Amino acid sequence: MSIKTGAGAKTPPPFYKRVGRKVWLFFNSLKLTLAVMLTLAFAAGFGTVIEQGLRPAEYIRAFGPKWTSVIYYTQVNDLYHAWWFTALLALLCLNIIVCTFERFPPKWKALLNQKPSGKFNARIISNCSHNNTIILATELDKAREKVLAVFKKKKYKTQLTTASDGHYIYAWRGTLGRFGSDIVHISLLLILLGSILGGFYGYKDNKIVYEGDTMTVPEAPFQVKLNKFWIDFYDTGQIRQYNSLLSVMENGKEVLKKQIWVNEPLYYKGIRFYQSSYGSAWDRIKRADIGLLKKDSKRIKTTVSVDWGKTVPLKGTPYSIKLMGFAADFAYDNATKTVFSQSAETKNPAVHIEIYKGKEMISNPWLFLNYPGIFPAIPDSEDDLVFAGFTGIMYSGISLNKDPGTNVVWLGALVMGLGFFLAFFITHKRLWIYIKSEGNSSEIKIGGFINKNQFALEKELKDIVHRIESD
Amino acid sequence: MLTNILFHTAIAAYFVATCIFVVYLFTHNERVVKTAVGVLTAAFVLHTIVIVLRWAGAGRTPVVNMHESLLFFSWLTVALYMIMLVKFKQRVLGAFVTPFVLLLIISSSFFPKTIIPLAPVLESYWLPVHVVLAFLGNAFFAIAFFLGIMYMIQEHYLKKRKLKGLFYILPSLGVIDELNYRCLQYGFPLLTLAIITGAIWSEYALGSYWQWKPRQVWSLITWFLYAALLHGRLTAGWRGKKAALLSALAFMVLVGSFIMINVILGGAHGISLR
Repeated sequence: MSIKTGAGAKTPPPFYKRVGRKVWLFFNSLKLTLAVMLTLAFAAGFGTVIEQGLRPAEYIRAFGPKWTSVIYYTQVNDLYHAWWFTALLALLCLNIIVCTFERFPPKWKALLNQKPSGKFNARIISNCSHNNTIILATELDKAREKVLAVFKKKKYKTQLTTASDGHYIYAWRGTLGRFGSDIVHISLLLILLGSILGGFYGYKDNKIVYEGDTMTVPEAPFQVKLNKFWIDFYDTGQIRQYNSLLSVMENGKEVLKKQIWVNEPLYYKGIRFYQSSYGSAWDRIKRADIGLLKKDSKRIKTTVSVDWGKTVPLKGTPYSIKLMGFAADFAYDNATKTVFSQSAETKNPAVHIEIYKGKEMISNPWLFLNYPGIFPAIPDSEDDLVFAGFTGIMYSGISLNKDPGTNVVWLGALVMGLGFFLAFFITHKRLWIYIKSEGNSSEIKIGGFINKNQFALEKELKDIVHRIESD
Repeated sequence: MLTNILFHTAIAAYFVATCIFVVYLFTHNERVVKTAVGVLTAAFVLHTIVIVLRWAGAGRTPVVNMHESLLFFSWLTVALYMIMLVKFKQRVLGAFVTPFVLLLIISSSFFPKTIIPLAPVLESYWLPVHVVLAFLGNAFFAIAFFLGIMYMIQEHYLKKRKLKGLFYILPSLGVIDELNYRCLQYGFPLLTLAIITGAIWSEYALGSYWQWKPRQVWSLITWFLYAALLHGRLTAGWRGKKAALLSALAFMVLVGSFIMINVILGGAHGISLR
């Protein structure tokens, strides 16, 4: 650039200014927008082809060691949180911000503080892509009033300039439509801001709660109790819905009770609780049915139901039974000499009981539902006990989500809706009208520009001409 | 049973309409295209009855499996074409839309037609809202895609200075382009609304408005592609080939991801409770 006059022209602008200008121009380009959007679209696809968040061994099995190292190097295993993906999003944001700064202020000045343009060159009308000429059989001023009335009725703003050779009218409406795109861009920034807020100040957690139990809630002054879990079925036997009845407990008191299901979470003090999974407990039951029979006999004489942790006397016998433990799929670890459940399914259910005769504990066997009588329950006795049945405890998997950014995201979505409405459905129409006297009648020339949707202007012009011509 | 007969009659009617439209493309005869539009209207009426019967039979919006989705989407596409026909009198567009609809409805017949009860995750008021918005947006994009093809054909004739063949029945470049923009003008906000309602629904059902699930990612990809197209058109003034090619790419991604996600992951975008 060479400038010959002016005091500042002696020295070229300082280095940082030139670089700054270049950087600004770089971020202020449509090419960057298109490049970033297309790259984001292309890159995001990979995350759905390559499964996210697997363990290294699983990637090695699927892709081999060489590709696994490539996957880890490029962070494709957690693509949407990879630094380069975040950088692309940041680039898009910068692009949006710079473009808004560049385009919004001049647009605002030009469109909202419209200075009277006064008399314009009538040739502008014939240059318009849409223009019409009407001859009205009235004198000049009446024609002017007529035209102005039509535009007023159609909610146009008008500007009249009267000159010696006729009236010049500039009419416009829908200026706000020009700001639609800016509003959409700002809404995108809001949505991103909301997601960042959620990432910093929120958390996600999964908890398993047994019926009747209470779970603690991180970072919250209350607990949540699961009263009941149940499944609704269709007549065909297909699952219709999963439900949990939850109570919010504060200082040991119930303050809120709510039934949740998929699509209906509980919301309390900024935290949402979702139905996310379910199952039956593998290490606990509600109650067990214990039967008494004579050894060498198959016939159960009496049965008693024993609640978890309770001691219940067996009527007509000197025995009492206490329910101590349960394993849904019994297994014994020889090394640690402990019993455990090797799966969550009730493949080999077993109960651990203590048997009392009077006050004295005489035995504490494990009884097996599928194998009654394989080990005698009471040593040195004619009597034997069997595990006859049980009522399990369901657990409910509850997802917790605290996300203070969600409302910002919804606000962004609303703003975006407004932006789209303005951008796509409010068109900026500008019309130029020149009225001049032609003997006893007046000639009206109308021409117009529209920023989009040419059909709409064509229709609008037809309507305006029709209104002016009719009485 | 009745639904089945009507369904197959509708397919037959779409087939006949397609054939007549093809004849029109070669003969350019006004009477032929009027017949084609008449048969298409009849097919559309049958299609509507099938949808209504299925809606009543299932007691919910018929969009929860592949058969229903294709049936519903193809119906929306024809409905949209019918509206454009009344509004803009573009009969020749039917020659492009009808084969596409025929393809969709034939594909739908290959999937199981049994009415399945709603999965827990789908039992929500958002189901009709979200799905209708999404499919309506897709229908606009489908028509935009065909208008892009029409634009390229017309441009080809004009550039070669060969005023023959389809040149006489296709609308002018300006009209095609304006219609194309109109489709994007509705399609893009509808796609955005579909993504937003999907996010709200996901917030309620799954606990997070965005989880980078394949359906969300691909809808975002489609959104980026159409956003790029709109920027190209509105800011850089793209017309013709460039716009048509990007429109075609975006539409392929849209259809491709719809098919892949439904076939691989199953209904409800593969989201279910353990």
